[in-house]
Amino acid sequence: MNRNKLIELFISNIANAIVHKILEKAIDVPEIIGKYRTEVINSWKIALGYRNKINPIDFPLPEHDTEEIKNRVINNVKAELKLRIGRGYKNISIDSVGEIVEQTLKEMNVI
Amino acid sequence: MDTQIISKVSRGTKMDQIYIPKNRIGLGIGEYVIILPLEKEITKSKKIQFKPYFHDLKDIEPIKLKIIQEIFSIIEQIKPDNIIITGSFLEKGFRFNDIDILIITENSRDITLIKHKIENFGIKTHLIVLDNKTLISGLSTDPIYSLMLNRCVSKNRIIYKFQRKINPKFLDLTLLKSKTLLDNFEILNGDEKYYLTFNMISILLFLKEKKLAKEIIDKEIEKTFNVSIEKIRENLIDKGFLIKFRKVYNNTFDLIMERLKNE
Repeated sequence: MNRNKLIELFISNIANAIVHKILEKAIDVPEIIGKYRTEVINSWKIALGYRNKINPIDFPLPEHDTEEIKNRVINNVKAELKLRIGRGYKNISIDSVGEIVEQTLKEMNVI
Repeated sequence: MDTQIISKVSRGTKMDQIYIPKNRIGLGIGEYVIILPLEKEITKSKKIQFKPYFHDLKDIEPIKLKIIQEIFSIIEQIKPDNIIITGSFLEKGFRFNDIDILIITENSRDITLIKHKIENFGIKTHLIVLDNKTLISGLSTDPIYSLMLNRCVSKNRIIYKFQRKINPKFLDLTLLKSKTLLDNFEILNGDEKYYLTFNMISILLFLKEKKLAKEIIDKEIEKTFNVSIEKIRENLIDKGFLIKFRKVYNNTFDLIMERLKNE
C-alpha cells in the first residue's frame, strides 16, 4: 500500500475514533459503556496500525504532512458531529475538536 | 457419612505428621487412610453439585462443559450472585476466539487472579464484573447484552424483568463501530466483517423492536446481503456487499436520528 493511501486510511480511522470519544461523553447511560463492549476491532487500533506503517515511524511526520492530516481530521470529525447536531443531537461540543485532534495526533506520534 | 477429620500437617524431626484425636469414630489403628488437601476436597464436593442452567442451548461438547465446571469452581471463591458463560465459546465447534464470562456481584472485585487462573486453561478470557443494576440497564438498552443472555450457561437461574428502551445516543455510538467496515473493507478479515455486520443488523432489529437471537440476526444478514454467513466469515465477499452495507448503515443511522428527534 502506498504512503498516500496509508495516510488516507489513517485519517478516516482516527477521525472515527475521535468522534467515538466525543459521543461517548454525550451519552446518558455511562454505566454500560466499556463493560461488555470491549471490541477487538476498533478505529483507534486500526489507526495505530496504519500510523506504524507510515514513515518516519519513530518520529513525528514532516510538517507538510502534519498540517494536512490535522486539517483533514478536524474537518472529518466536525462533519460527522454536525451531521448529528443538524438532526437534533444535543450536548456535543464542537469547540473542543481542534484541541482533541491535536492531543490525539501527539499520542500517535504524528505531530 | 464416612468419618472425616480436618487436621493440620505439622513438622516432625524425621517425618512430618498429622495428629488426630484419640476419641474418634472410625479410622482405627492400623487402617490405611487417604490424605487430601482440604481445598481440593472442597472443590471436589462442589463439583458434585455442578448443575448449570442452559439457556437456548441444545447441546454442548463435553470438554466445554468440563471447562465451564472448572471456571465455576474458580469464580465460586469470590461468592458471586451468578456466573454467566456466553459468546462464541458456546457455538458448535472450536472456532471461538475467547470465552466471555460475566460475574454478577454487588461487590467490586479485583479479578486479575481469577482471570489468570482461567487463562491457565490456554483460553483467552473476557471477564466482566457487573452488578445487577448495570446488567439490567445493559439488557434494556444494548442489543448485544440481550443477545449475550439469550444463549448462555449460568450457575443460577436467570430471571430478569426489563423493558427494551431505545436510547438513540447509545445506539448511534454503537453503530459507529460498524463504520470501520466502510473505511477498511480491503484490510479486514472475514470474521471482523461478519462481526461488524452482525453489530449493525442487531441494532437495526433492536430499533424495529424485533426479537433478538443469533439465528435471527444471521438469517437477516443472509437475506439482506444475499450471501451466506460462511462466505462472509471466509471473506469471500466483493464490493457489492460493501455497497449494500453502506445503504443499510445509512438507513440505520437515519432511523436512530429519527428517534433522537422524537425524544
